[in-house]
Amino acid sequence: MEKQLKVGEGFKIIGFVLIAFGLFTVLTGLLTGDHVRTWANLLLNNYYFMSVTIGATFWLAMQAITQSGWSAAYVRIPQAMSNYLIVSFILWAFMFFGLHDLYHWTHHDAVMHDPILLHKEPYLNIPFFTIRYVLFFALWIFLTQRIKKLSLEEDKIGGLTNFNKIEFTSKVYIFVLAITFSLFSIDWLMSLDPHWYSTIYAVKKFVMAFYHGIVVITAIAIILNKLGYLTILTKTHMGDFARYIFALSIIWGYIWLSQYILIWYANIPEETVYYVPRIMEEYKTYFYLELIVNWAFPFLFLMWNRVAKNAWALLFVAVVLMAGQWIELYMSIMPDTADTHNITYIEVGTFLGYFALFAMVIAWSLARIPLVAKNHPYLIESIEHH
Amino acid sequence: MYNTRVRGILIQGNKTYSDVSRDIIRPMDDKTPLWWWITAFLATGALFWGMWGFYNTISTGIGEWGLNNNVAWGWAIINFVWWIGIGHAGTAFSIFLLILRQKWRTSINRAAEAMTIFAVMAAGLFPLIHMGRIWDGFFIFPYWNTRGPLWDNFNSPLFWDVVAISTYFMASFVFWYIGMIPDFATIRERTTSAIKKKVYGILSFGWIGNAKGWLRFETAALLLGGMAAPLVVSVHSIVSMDFSVSVIPGWHTTIFPPYFVVGAIFSGFGMVLTLMIVMRKIYKFKDYVTDGHLDAIARILTFISLIMGTAYTTELFMAWYSGNEYELFTFMKNRVTGDYKFAFWTMITCNAIIPQLFWFKSIRKNITIVFIISLFINLGMWFERYVIVVTSLSKDFLPATWATYEPTITEIAVFSGTIGLFVLGVLAFFRFVPTIAISEVKGVLKETTTLKSFNDE
Repeated sequence: MEKQLKVGEGFKIIGFVLIAFGLFTVLTGLLTGDHVRTWANLLLNNYYFMSVTIGATFWLAMQAITQSGWSAAYVRIPQAMSNYLIVSFILWAFMFFGLHDLYHWTHHDAVMHDPILLHKEPYLNIPFFTIRYVLFFALWIFLTQRIKKLSLEEDKIGGLTNFNKIEFTSKVYIFVLAITFSLFSIDWLMSLDPHWYSTIYAVKKFVMAFYHGIVVITAIAIILNKLGYLTILTKTHMGDFARYIFALSIIWGYIWLSQYILIWYANIPEETVYYVPRIMEEYKTYFYLELIVNWAFPFLFLMWNRVAKNAWALLFVAVVLMAGQWIELYMSIMPDTADTHNITYIEVGTFLGYFALFAMVIAWSLARIPLVAKNHPYLIESIEHH
Repeated sequence: MYNTRVRGILIQGNKTYSDVSRDIIRPMDDKTPLWWWITAFLATGALFWGMWGFYNTISTGIGEWGLNNNVAWGWAIINFVWWIGIGHAGTAFSIFLLILRQKWRTSINRAAEAMTIFAVMAAGLFPLIHMGRIWDGFFIFPYWNTRGPLWDNFNSPLFWDVVAISTYFMASFVFWYIGMIPDFATIRERTTSAIKKKVYGILSFGWIGNAKGWLRFETAALLLGGMAAPLVVSVHSIVSMDFSVSVIPGWHTTIFPPYFVVGAIFSGFGMVLTLMIVMRKIYKFKDYVTDGHLDAIARILTFISLIMGTAYTTELFMAWYSGNEYELFTFMKNRVTGDYKFAFWTMITCNAIIPQLFWFKSIRKNITIVFIISLFINLGMWFERYVIVVTSLSKDFLPATWATYEPTITEIAVFSGTIGLFVLGVLAFFRFVPTIAISEVKGVLKETTTLKSFNDE
């Protein structure tokens, strides 16, 4: 009933040009001596698009375990996104060349003279770090690909068997994500400052991933609809996507506040050290911008029902929030690594390159599968949703 | 569109609208059953014992409790947090599931909300008597006073608690009451007793069930729900800040606010499960609170239990990762091992391990086991608060001040008194209020049934 997606030639050309531009900036950055900054940017963008994908597939799993009906027409979008995890796995592998530039705990002599780092050595060491990276990605790729495979099989055979299997796999996936994604965030982001810790850190990154994952799904659904595909997208569906974004903006703000207020209130130097450069010095603008863009803007903007059901307004929200995630990650990474607070060609170029690659992987994946899971048991419920 | 072929039938037994009214109001018109009197008698006994505990505490002082200089918070705060947690069930059910448009909510929300009210009442007693000088209790309200420049400490989370909990109580009550208005009108119309007609007539605010009334009713429910959802989260976050804004190892950890909220919803759902299984048994409500409903609650509990397990693991891992010797001591030497290891491992077993049994369909289908597991959850959540409060206080930075804590008989009496109060409240609810939201069940009846008379329309 829904026609097959065709990737346009223009899209491909723009995509390749942007990827080439990204590659060029990365190489220039590495060769001109800005290597710490370049690695920090690579880390940022690797994490950015990986977490968006994790968030989107988490949403997919949530739809399965909660037996949500309205979203049945959109399961193919996160399923297609899950292919990016494979690409991401390869991209992360390059990060190992930059570990030394980014992570203080990889410096053997520094660790030897630092009792705290020595204490963490059984966890923060390169071999174990690598094992975790490989293991986590293997689990994510296996489980998300399995969900996709089961869903595609459902298109052919129908019935409830695959539906139930998807539900079970989703449960396992959520179980796995709870542990693996938390540790992954601690490994790659929190350990940038190996002395600092916060128990909510992984939760915050998880919420961020979920939040922006939905933003990307919403944006893709609207773009497909505007291009003439996925014609089932109604105002009610958009309203529901908007509610997701709205609710998650509150949750995101809540988690942000939980971390900030407790550290601010207790005022322990070991903890406030994280916020000192972020709020008192040059990063001040980003600090407030992060909050305004990720919480205040969607919260106030989407409160208006007519806006929440308007395709262009939602697309605008999506663009703003994608910038919001970039700012959040910039604030997580930069003060601990490159310690730069301006945006140059390296930031722009790397992001554009990754963005183009991400978009192309999704487009290519979507073009290979039917856009709607036609035998999904709740599809009728989703289409008639009002 | 609700597809009964995929989703199953929500209300069993081919009920018509009049069946629904009759079934749910029937227990209120029957003679008060014997079990009601027996339970009420026992609960009153517990309440009287609790009043003795209250009298003891107020007339003599907090010294009647097992507290000491180091462990300055004991059972009182544990029970307070426990009851507040249970009080989250009603709101979690009614509000989150209302916003998420979950139709199965309708058979359960009324009882869950009633629980909230009585649990919050029980919780509120603890800070009150913990003041020691209860006659100065009004000092907690920030009003233009005669005490000169003496005001509440607005920086104190204990003051935030007062604000949060009283707001929560009022919001829950309004939400619960508004939901009951159409049902009170139904009773008014059906009853034969003149007194009941009068009383329920007043309670129903003269509801006549016209379209305009319904429109406003639904809008009010949705608006209140939308506003109360963040309120639920804020209440337990603030309760968690009673602990986490301090610098005590094991208390000061940034994950506390969401972790407490999740824990509260967990214990609340556990209590809902306990109560629903009892209710559907004694009132023969199996057509309304079906096995499917219990299955849904059980599955939610599995999910929340997983979050709890992750939170416990995160705390332990971070205690190690931090390399902070005080954190390490509190978690590894005073919780996982040491004097309080029994409490710690009870907490882990009841909250993170036993509910994982719900992964198996055969266990979710066996209502007896489900009931037992729900009791374990209630127990486990009590122990969680015990672990948090007592372990961290008992051994802090100065070994010279280390102390142990044992509750006295007065504290036990006070706790059992609040249980008596809660049970009496629930019993009154069973007797005088329709325990299932009649109007809401009717609202979802048509599209979730296969009854012929509906489909022919």
